[in-house]
Amino acid sequence: MIIVRFIVCVKQVPDTTEVKVDPKTNTLIREGVPCILNPFDQFALEEAVRLKKEGDEIIVISMGPPQAKKELMKCLALGADEAILLSDRVLAGADTWATSYTLAQAIRKIGDFDIIFCGYQAIDGDTAQVGPELAAQLGIPQITYIESVDELSSRKLTAKSQTDDGYKIVEVRLPVLLTGITPSGFIPRSPPLPNIIKAKQKSFTTWTADDLGGEKDMYGLAGSLTQVIRVYAPPVREKGVMITDEPIIAVEKLMEILIKDKVI
Amino acid sequence: MAFEFDEEQEMFKESVREFAERKIVPLGLTMEETKEIPQEIKKGMAELGLLACTASPEYGGSGLNAVSAGVIAEELGRADPTGSIPVFYLVQAAWGFLLNKYGTEEAKKEIFPKVVSGDWFLGIATTEADAGSDVVGSSMTIKKVSDGFVVNGEKMYISGVREAATGGGGHVTIAHQTPERGSRGMTVFYFPLTAEGVTPTYISDLGREGISCGGFTADNVKIPSHYIIGEENRGFNIIHEGYEFARALIAVICASSGLKSLENGMNYIKERKTFGIAIGKYEEINFRLAEHYTRLCALRDLGYKALWLIDREQEGKAGRFEVSKGVAMAKMFASDWACDAINDVMQWQGAFGYSRECADQAAWRAVRSFALAEGSREIMKMIVARELLGKDFIAYK
Repeated sequence: MIIVRFIVCVKQVPDTTEVKVDPKTNTLIREGVPCILNPFDQFALEEAVRLKKEGDEIIVISMGPPQAKKELMKCLALGADEAILLSDRVLAGADTWATSYTLAQAIRKIGDFDIIFCGYQAIDGDTAQVGPELAAQLGIPQITYIESVDELSSRKLTAKSQTDDGYKIVEVRLPVLLTGITPSGFIPRSPPLPNIIKAKQKSFTTWTADDLGGEKDMYGLAGSLTQVIRVYAPPVREKGVMITDEPIIAVEKLMEILIKDKVI
Repeated sequence: MAFEFDEEQEMFKESVREFAERKIVPLGLTMEETKEIPQEIKKGMAELGLLACTASPEYGGSGLNAVSAGVIAEELGRADPTGSIPVFYLVQAAWGFLLNKYGTEEAKKEIFPKVVSGDWFLGIATTEADAGSDVVGSSMTIKKVSDGFVVNGEKMYISGVREAATGGGGHVTIAHQTPERGSRGMTVFYFPLTAEGVTPTYISDLGREGISCGGFTADNVKIPSHYIIGEENRGFNIIHEGYEFARALIAVICASSGLKSLENGMNYIKERKTFGIAIGKYEEINFRLAEHYTRLCALRDLGYKALWLIDREQEGKAGRFEVSKGVAMAKMFASDWACDAINDVMQWQGAFGYSRECADQAAWRAVRSFALAEGSREIMKMIVARELLGKDFIAYK
């Protein structure tokens, strides 16, 4: 019997340290860019693994193309018990709302759960919306910016949540959705080789839109409330003017420039 | 035919690369000064399951096949320009393979858990002052006594002597048990360097400073019977399987070290200008780059083909000498081709390339060793020629 069931939502993202924007077309140059497990999601998973006790279960879910299986296998090697990939052409082009709807449908299909753990945001979109929207879709409480979960029982948990000027300790009844803010000292684990080998023996399933049920026009591009019209890099700034004279002369020169350019 | 790793091997690669970039790359050339691999790195390698990764899971190993072991070797080869960590890894993978295949249950249960955890070191010690690739020409002896075996003799130019003598562990060794029978009277065994009667000696090598090099003398050293690997007097037949595993890993390490150096070189020649032109535009340089890259990719393919042949042999799908030839082809030019490439990268970088600060010079000194280690390039040629022409054309027979 499962005591506490964690569901961790993860995303395969391009390694943004490798991504550049084509200055002519303003599109991301994805060619040859490796995909990785969203680092914020890895923190969420590792926190769930840390909290997991005997009899608990961790299920990871991800919406993405078939290639996202690679990241889910990594999650299994890092300690998840089961992985579910939500993959279907119908799901493509989803914004955060359609994504959270899709994840919510999958979680309803899974059935009972106690804690949903999401990364704070994905490093490709930087929206930080999917977690909170998912809580809204499921009608459950949420705690965002979680730094750590300090106490956990089968009915409630206590978590430390970052705020603008410090932190707050929040106690909440389960089920709950948490989004984790990765602490600065967090070093992601690389899965050990024997765990990678064992990952193959764990459950991996792919669900299509038909498996998820629900309303078809809520999925993918059709179900998206927002659309990305254009992605562009900020224009390259021209080289500035350096004034290196003595302060009195430098001020005079600066005034001349500002008056000439009609700034003052 | 599929030129690709399987899903599991891709995950090994990613996991080891993450570890290597986070922990090994930042070390730079510091091991040249400290003369040791940091304990944190050994611990990290142990936690990842890299040490003696070929040992079966029942002894604590990862149970990797040869190709998978090569995937790890490749990543370590690119991460550590001093070559110390690749050597530390490869000898334990290769000789762990032999111990796992032919060792006694008792020995495997005793040795592997300590090697896999990084507490002990498992090496190879067959070279002597007057006998290297000519194993039969060695003089160490092993004699059966009522309660085990007694070993006498000396080994030289051995990697990891300090690691095993001070931290614990030992080396896979071969010695004459029935000297009058030559190669048919030799026995392979595990030799603990912490045993009474062992005196270690040390040598300063040209490179790979993070792992010690030296030798040891054995003066009436007593070892238990369960340390014998394979059958008594039939060690010559199995020792080559360990060499070949190591040689194939060396081919892959040379390729990855050379390719990493070419990456360094490419970054440099795209930026560095002479007479207002990036030096990468000169054909004297970019033609050399193209040649080196092609040769090193061919070397990488030969290395993986050799590892694949070793795996095929374990499945009963490749013959002993087919493997020997494939491995010898892979190792024959491994050091030379990698050294040539790295030498040119040093040249492109001008005076900096000759300075101690340049990682490529350390890589050059490291891969240079592999024209000698685990069977010299000349022996590799001898093996290939033997397989092409037949045993009648072996010069020493």
